[in-house]
Amino acid sequence: MNQDERLSILKDILLTDEREYAQKVEEKLRVVEDVINKQNQLSERVNPIIEQKLNDFILEIPKTLGPSITEALKTEIKNSQDAVVEALFPIIGKMIKKYVQQEMQILSEQINAKMNSAFTFEGLKRKFKSKKTGVSEGDLILQELSQPKIDQIMVIEKGSGIIISEYSKTQSIDEDMVSGMLTAIKSFAEDAFEKDNQELQYIEYDSFHIHLQNFSAYYIAVIISGPYNVVFKSKLEDKLLDFAQNYINKEDIKDTDSFSKKLKLFFE
Amino acid sequence: MKVSKKIVLLGHFGVGKSSLIRRFVENTFSEDYKVTIGVHIFKKNITIPEQGTDVSLVIWDLEGNDDITNTRLSYLLGTHAFIYVYDVTRPATYESLESEINFLKEKQKNTSITVVGNKEDLVTKAYLKQNSGNFGSLTDLYVSAKTGDKVDLLFSNLAEALIK
Repeated sequence: MNQDERLSILKDILLTDEREYAQKVEEKLRVVEDVINKQNQLSERVNPIIEQKLNDFILEIPKTLGPSITEALKTEIKNSQDAVVEALFPIIGKMIKKYVQQEMQILSEQINAKMNSAFTFEGLKRKFKSKKTGVSEGDLILQELSQPKIDQIMVIEKGSGIIISEYSKTQSIDEDMVSGMLTAIKSFAEDAFEKDNQELQYIEYDSFHIHLQNFSAYYIAVIISGPYNVVFKSKLEDKLLDFAQNYINKEDIKDTDSFSKKLKLFFE
Repeated sequence: MKVSKKIVLLGHFGVGKSSLIRRFVENTFSEDYKVTIGVHIFKKNITIPEQGTDVSLVIWDLEGNDDITNTRLSYLLGTHAFIYVYDVTRPATYESLESEINFLKEKQKNTSITVVGNKEDLVTKAYLKQNSGNFGSLTDLYVSAKTGDKVDLLFSNLAEALIK
């Protein structure tokens, strides 16, 4: 056995493990190369990670990007108001048109219903009134349809703002809160103007009119929808004064049940 | 039977009047300080089982005022009970307690006044004891709008007293 052969045997003995290890590493590298180079195999591994990251990102958007987007939109809208108006105008226009059409349809149906009742007592009365006053029957119908409507009546103790009595056909507001707030507004206005014997008489809120009729211990707030005009105001004042003078006494103010019964009877 | 009562909260700026009301009405608390302008009105219904009565507490949260004489007097009219609130950690809010209470008594005779030291969670019991002389004998209750401690008790005691 010469020296080369001996060296080969020695190599075999010493390097067998390393060779096996190197072969395994080579094999693994080949698999990794395969995964990286073949798109579908790479997608299989990477897609779930990207999906998870995307989901996290979407959840984070309101926190991280929300304020910046809002700020950017605000600035953009401020800087290009004309463009915004141009973009919104057709949409708003359509909405208004639709609303007006709907309201006109309702009005038309109501007028038809009134015309159909031409031979009822109410219709004959209108015809007679039209002939007598010279106002056309159509105008009279329109007048009838645009009558103000009392939605709610609240009798409120002056100062405390505590509700004594309330009457409404449809319960829609928290009368305790409203009566308190009305009293606070009234107190503020009356204090601020610093004029004796002057009291707040009217508040307008959206399409509602709030008529305030003042008496010594209490005031009556009447919430009205529809056109509120001088004629209606005068009639309402007369009615409220009549109620206070002829139907209500001192005991009723302490007895809320009795007050409520009288209020309901009078205004129903 | 249902009765309504007007309760007015008064005191200096930032003593926690609005926080006390929010804790009672909504059971919430916020560290953010929002100053009350004018008046804010809240409402809570509670039942007094012993009397079988539902009490509707209409609570007026008046804006803070360092001098009670500047309070809009028309807001005090017809009040069934006052709650005067001070901050146990800020001497400026209770230094003139006696004169402020006297002013209220003078303006609204026969109306009960409950004096309350708020923010008790920020101090120790020993601190309250040591300073009881400064708070005066007028204090009825130490409360915390933040933790809610004794807030319900304050209003329910008041409601009970009002319907007796």
